[in-house]
Amino acid sequence: MAKNGQTQNVTIRVQRFNPDVDAKPYLASYEIEATADTTLLDALEQIKATLDGSLTFRRSCRHAICGSCAMNVNGRNMLVCNRRVNALLDRRGRVTIRPLPYLPIIKDLVVDRTSFWEQYLRVKPWLIPPENGAAPAGEYRVLPAEVEALKMAETCIMCGACYSACQVVAMNKQYIGPHALLKAFLRVLDPRDAAPAERLEIVGGDDGVFRCHTIFNCIDACPKGLDPTFAIETLRKLAQKRLAFAAERVERQKSLGTGRDA
Amino acid sequence: MRVFVMQRLTAVALVLFLTLHMIVVHYPPGHLDFSRVMERLANPVWKVIDILFLLAVLIHALTGAYAVLMDVERVTPYKRMLVGTAVLLGLIAFAYGTATILAFNTF
Amino acid sequence: MYKTTGFISFLFRRVSGMALVFYLFMHIWVIGSATGGAEAFDARMATVQAPLFRLLEVALLTAVVYHGFDGIRLLIVHWFKVTEYRKSLFYAMFVLFILVSIVGGVPLLLFALEGN
Ligand code: SF4
Ligand code: FES
Repeated sequence: MAKNGQTQNVTIRVQRFNPDVDAKPYLASYEIEATADTTLLDALEQIKATLDGSLTFRRSCRHAICGSCAMNVNGRNMLVCNRRVNALLDRRGRVTIRPLPYLPIIKDLVVDRTSFWEQYLRVKPWLIPPENGAAPAGEYRVLPAEVEALKMAETCIMCGACYSACQVVAMNKQYIGPHALLKAFLRVLDPRDAAPAERLEIVGGDDGVFRCHTIFNCIDACPKGLDPTFAIETLRKLAQKRLAFAAERVERQKSLGTGRDA
Repeated sequence: MRVFVMQRLTAVALVLFLTLHMIVVHYPPGHLDFSRVMERLANPVWKVIDILFLLAVLIHALTGAYAVLMDVERVTPYKRMLVGTAVLLGLIAFAYGTATILAFNTF
Repeated sequence: MYKTTGFISFLFRRVSGMALVFYLFMHIWVIGSATGGAEAFDARMATVQAPLFRLLEVALLTAVVYHGFDGIRLLIVHWFKVTEYRKSLFYAMFVLFILVSIVGGVPLLLFALEGN
């Protein structure tokens, strides 16, 4: 393992596929120089700049916040911009980078995320505030405990790592998927949201939470340490008492302006 | 949702029923014989237990098979057909099984 | 394929589940012969007491035990907030499954090999 400042030669295997030329994806090997700090994304950039300019991949922010660089590295989904090459060498001193599994490949490491976004829209990921009359005049006040109950779900960066790791998604693209169910959880539990009944109906339907088989791949894949399985389990319970929960929400919203429980 | 709830409820029931079943039927281990089964089932309490067991296991099995099939994307359009087949199969098997359990009277 | 403990548990659960569905219907059919009296029962029983079936019985036990323990594990995940301990929970379940399978399976296996 290279110490700080020292370089080391490593082999990066990248799955390549150009739909205009190739019949099937194949693995190409590249030798690069890496230091202890080289990230997987740095390695890809290095390959693109010095070895093969045709290598195609998505990236934008380079610090784990835009969610565009999720890929499958050594069989696990992760962001490539916040992981070091050094820590991911396999027994033979190589790293293998493939596109996110179970999604159509557009080119090399770029996958078609249409189904990911379509499913996302199905849960109405935006906040639906109370109607004019019921909304507080001033600011909305949410209790600390209520924020805690959201389990940081708002920090999801929509990278697709969980979606593409999900075995149910792999079998059936009609499934809403962990990313969108996590978002639904966020909105359903949000005291400011006025449409929990409608949301729970979508989420409790044929393509929703009851299709999850509790495989946990989504938790293992999430680069932000979020827990879609917990979100799904919570929604399962709430979907079973949908109307009662919606009634509670109406009550809660009567005191949204004061920050106190009704 | 209904399928899911049915499956979990029967799952809980099955844990109990199956443990019981394994113990009374197979303990002590060895050759199962007709008279032993008959003796037990002549008791109406056992009849009720076994009919409930049959019902739970059928629901669990059929909802399970339904879930397995519905996970295959190409099968999803045939949802109604699947539900119909499952209900029919369940009713037939339940009727046949119940008849068997009740028939132990006559010996 | 995204191979994790979760995936393995899911695969085993499905395979054992489907095997058990087949077994269940066979079981109902075999026991159904009891209505025909002891002879009919013994006749159908004889088919399923062949050595091959006795070996299959060991497989049946394994499937039931796995499916049962895995199911209990899932119920635990449903009812308690334990997603954090998912790996330990799986390993614990698996060890239990192996132990119970051995305790139950070995006598069955001996019985099968004995013939008769
Ligand atoms: S839940 Fe995690 S893995 Fe899934 S899209 Fe959000 S950040 Fe990515
Ligand atoms: S490049 Fe933005 S998350 Fe990796």
